[in-house]
This record gives sequence, C-alpha cells and structure tokens, in this order.
Amino acid sequence: MRRRKLAIVGTPNVGKSVLFNALTGAYATVSNYPGTTVEVSRGLVRIRGIPFEVIDTPGAYSLVPITEEERVTLSLLLAEDIDIVVHVVDARNLRRMLPLTLQLIEAGFPLILDVNILDEAERIGIRVDIPGLERELGVPVVGTVLTRGLGVDALKDRVAACVQGISGITGTHLKAFRGPDRACGA
Amino acid sequence: MLLSGARDVHALVRRTEGRECYERIRRTVERAASRYDMPLSYLIGLERQERADLIVRRVTTTGLRRVSRAARALDFLTLFPPAAIPLLLLVLYFGLYRFVGVFGAGTVVDFLERRLFGKVVNPVVNAFVTRHIDSVALRELVAGEYGVITLGLRYSVAIVLPIVGTFFLMFSVLEDTGYLPRLALMADRAFKLIGLSGRAVIPITLGFGCGTMATMVTRTLETRRERTIATVLLALAVPCSAQLGVILGMLATRPRALLLWAGVVGAAFLAAGRASSRFLPGERPVFYMEVPPLRVPVVSNVLAKTFTRMKWYFVEVMPLFMGASLVIWIGRMTGLFQLVLKGLEVPVKLIGLPPEAAFAFLFGFFRRDYGAAGLYDLARAGKLTASQLVVASVALTLFVPCVAQFAMMWKERGWRAALAITGVALAVAFASGYVLNLILTGTGALP
Repeated sequence: MRRRKLAIVGTPNVGKSVLFNALTGAYATVSNYPGTTVEVSRGLVRIRGIPFEVIDTPGAYSLVPITEEERVTLSLLLAEDIDIVVHVVDARNLRRMLPLTLQLIEAGFPLILDVNILDEAERIGIRVDIPGLERELGVPVVGTVLTRGLGVDALKDRVAACVQGISGITGTHLKAFRGPDRACGA
Repeated sequence: MLLSGARDVHALVRRTEGRECYERIRRTVERAASRYDMPLSYLIGLERQERADLIVRRVTTTGLRRVSRAARALDFLTLFPPAAIPLLLLVLYFGLYRFVGVFGAGTVVDFLERRLFGKVVNPVVNAFVTRHIDSVALRELVAGEYGVITLGLRYSVAIVLPIVGTFFLMFSVLEDTGYLPRLALMADRAFKLIGLSGRAVIPITLGFGCGTMATMVTRTLETRRERTIATVLLALAVPCSAQLGVILGMLATRPRALLLWAGVVGAAFLAAGRASSRFLPGERPVFYMEVPPLRVPVVSNVLAKTFTRMKWYFVEVMPLFMGASLVIWIGRMTGLFQLVLKGLEVPVKLIGLPPEAAFAFLFGFFRRDYGAAGLYDLARAGKLTASQLVVASVALTLFVPCVAQFAMMWKERGWRAALAITGVALAVAFASGYVLNLILTGTGALP
C-alpha cells in the first residue's frame, strides 16, 4: 500500500508534538528540513493498517508566512504531497485559531480539525459543540485531551477513513471553497 | 492566498501554471488590490476572522467565568507601569541575578569547571595524551591550554551550559506563567526607539547570558530587519555573562570606573540601535501580542520546554565551541596568530594601551571572558592605570563577538552580514576607545 503523508499543523503550544508522539509512538525520528534549521520531525507509523509518514511542523499562526517557522510550514505543505492535514487547535481559544482552519480549507487541503485541551476549556466554562463545528466547517472534527490520550483513537479512525475517501461529512456552506478533487472524502 | 501576497505561493503558481497565465493572475490581483485603500491581506484576514467569530459563537457556549480577586490583582501588578516596574526589578533580581548569575554562573560553574574539569577531566586527558601521543601538534589539538576537549568541551559544558541551563529554566517558568508577553508589552515602547519590538526582550536578555545562543534566538523576531538589528546589538554592545563577570570583577573596586564603563557601553547600545534602525531598510515592526491569563506554571511543561531548549543548545551551539578550539589550534600551529597579534598592537597602542593588551584582544575573540581575564592579569601586575582599565574594558566589550557567536551570525544572517557587523564592531570598539582615552587623559578625570 502506498505510504500516505500526514502533516500536523497549528499554532505553537497547542499540543502538536504531543499528538505527534501519540501517533508515532517509539518510531519517531527527527530530521532537519532542508534549507533551514527550524526543526521538522517525521515518523513512520501504521494507522489502522495504513502506512503513514507523520510530519510535525513548526508552529504557524497563518498560512501567509510572517516568521521563519511559518515559512517552513508553508513551503512544506506546498512542496510535499500531503494526503491529509491535521490542524490542532486549543479549545480555549478557537476564535484565534479558526482563521487558519478556514485558510487551510480555502487552500483545498484535505483537513481534519483536532479540537484539543477540551478539559481545561471545560474548567473555565467553555463548551465546544463538536458535531456542530463539523457541520459549520464541512470537515471532520475530533475533540481530544491529548495530554491524557483521550480522543486519539477517534482521531485515528477519522484519519484512516479520510484517506480511504469515507468521511461521512455532507455538504455545507463552505463546500464551495474546497477544491472538489482534494477535499477530504467529500 | 495569492491575494494575500504570499511569495511562495506566487512562485508556485508561476512554476506550475506557466508565465503567461501567472501574469494574467497577477494583473487581476493588482486590480483587486487597487480598489481598496488597505492591504488585501488585512481585509481578507478581517473577513476570515469575522467568519471564525460567527462559527465560534454558534458552536461554543461559555459559562460564567469567575476571575478571582487575586488574579485581577496580579493582572494589575504586571500591566500597570508603576506597579509593574518594581515587580520587573524583583523578577530580574531574583530570577536573573540570584538564580542565573549567582547560582548558575557562580556555584554550578565553579563546581563543574574547577572540580570536574580542573581536577578530574583535564588532568586525566593531559596525562593520557602526554603518555600516548608523541606529536606535540596532535597533543595540543585535544589537550593543553586550548585543546578541543580541555578548552572546547570544558567551555561549552562547564561554563556556558550551567548559565544557559539555569537561564532556560527560569525562562520556561516565566513563559509558562504568562509573564513574558506582559514583559514584552512593557518593553515595547522603549524598544521601538531602537527599531525593535517588545518581542526582542527575549533575545536581548538572553544575550547577557550567552550571545551565541541569543543570536540564534533572534529567529523568534518577525522581520528580517528586526533580526538584523538585534544581531548587531548583541554583537556590539551586549556583554555576555562570561565577559560581564570578569569585567565586573575587575572594575568592582573602582565604582567611578564601573559607572563610566556602563555609561559608555549603554550609550553605544542606544546609538547602535538608533543608527541601525535609521539605516536598515524595511518596515518598522508592528507589535501585536495576545496577553494570556496568568497561571501557575505546570512542572511538566516547564521541564519539557527546558529540555527541548537544552537539546537545541547541544545540537546547535556546542559544535561551534568545539570548532573554535580547532581554529585556535590552526592559528597557533601556522603562526597566523603571531601575525594578527602584531597587527592588533597598532590600534591597541593608538587607544593608549600597552602592546601586551593586544594579546587580550586577540583571545577575546575566542573567549570573550578570556580577553577580559587577560586584562585582569595586566591590571593585577600593575601595568594599567585606572583610565587605561576603563578604556580597555570598553573597547573589549564593544570589540568583535566571540568566534562561536561569529559563526552563528554567519549561519543565521549570512557571511556578508556577519563580516559587516564584525567590521563595524571592530571600528566602533577602537574609535570609542580612542575618544575615551583622549577625554580621560585630557581631563584627568580618572587617575
């Protein structure tokens, strides 16, 4: 089976690397991305029997790069044939993070949104309606508490389903923005 | 994304769609841009944010969030200048001075350098090479006064590591509490004067620990211009802890000399910042940073962050120190050093110092504190007057950065910038030394 490429993106400090470790386990290898010294980690792993190369990108706030880290992330997404992008966001601060989600959707990347840190969000009184968010965005959305490993299984299921072209997501008002051939499972 | 002006995307489209098609697209983009008086990327961002807000409002419910009185008091303490400045001084005193300066740079360095390397590693290595290696040149490469192990490894592990280690630990604690953005916010106005934004607080403060490390950390700054200004300042007017320690030790008994040194170096810092922000092309930084709530730091977070940074240090900085001892070795073996030494004696005499001081300057390039220590020896031998001491300390502080920092500048800013900055530092160091010497000997302000 062809090895798929999964890229983890998101702002700094939302748990990208925790997810990377949760997905890759002991297989993690670290490499430098050519041309710059900002680090990109890669790991090989099987998810639900499908071989994946998981790529952990440096933190980025936006697809239009401002800092060097963001430039690395953008050129990585552009240069490599990415099969699926997992955007990790902090449930406590969706407002600040969703613009990147929208950018990724507009750019036509097959996307899964991982709403992380749900526990701390709940503690400060923020509740996120995951199915509702899925309907609004039109991409698969998974809620997780990565520090405790909650939701990782569900995320793996969605990742596997997504690369096989079954996402179970039906049309939304944002669908028009997505390139029909690359959109995840739609 | 084309509309937002991302350069990489433009390049990609030109490559994949062909020149003609790209030109058509580019014209369309320009036409669209000309219709608004604000940058398109800004407008698109705004629009996107509005949509995000709408979605967030639909899918999240926010319960009542109680902000405790203590939290509000802390917010006030960290953001209201009359309260925040004393707090900042407290943080600097305990965090930076007591913990990093006294504990890290004092206690831990003493232990590692004097005990571990001075009494165990170096004697063992020296004894080993004397017994097993016949070639003097090879022996000097790994051992002796400037060997890769006895100098390179000792310097990076015993001297710099404890300092950056304690600094990173304190830094991670501050980062995790959410204090740093507040600090950056406060510093923003002052930093604007020298063409930097509040964000630069981090690399500049780090520069007082280790300039090489700090030069690498300028990566966190947004624009190339800002990164260059910070690199210039770090190379010129921010003495690293190793150098600072020896200079403070040397001048501590002469308060007036110390003040004079601090004044001149501080003035050079401001002047260099002003000048480079004037002459470097590019936009002024726009500083925007969300101020997160203060929270009690989580031990695992702090440790994880400290650990990642330490790893960074080992991978990226330590090899440079090892390389520096290699360069010293080559210099000594080929006789290049003697030549450079002769050359350096000219400007050294010009600023009124005895020719022996040239040695201190040359070694200042390889170990900044070593240069200062060379002066220290001269001073103790009674070869320097008070005014010569000040002139020498100022010139040495402003003098070119150490070889590891130079290599880092090369790596981060390119060889042209690295050479230019070093040249400027050299000129500024001797020019201010010259002027200071004239003033001091002319007025007789210092005996």
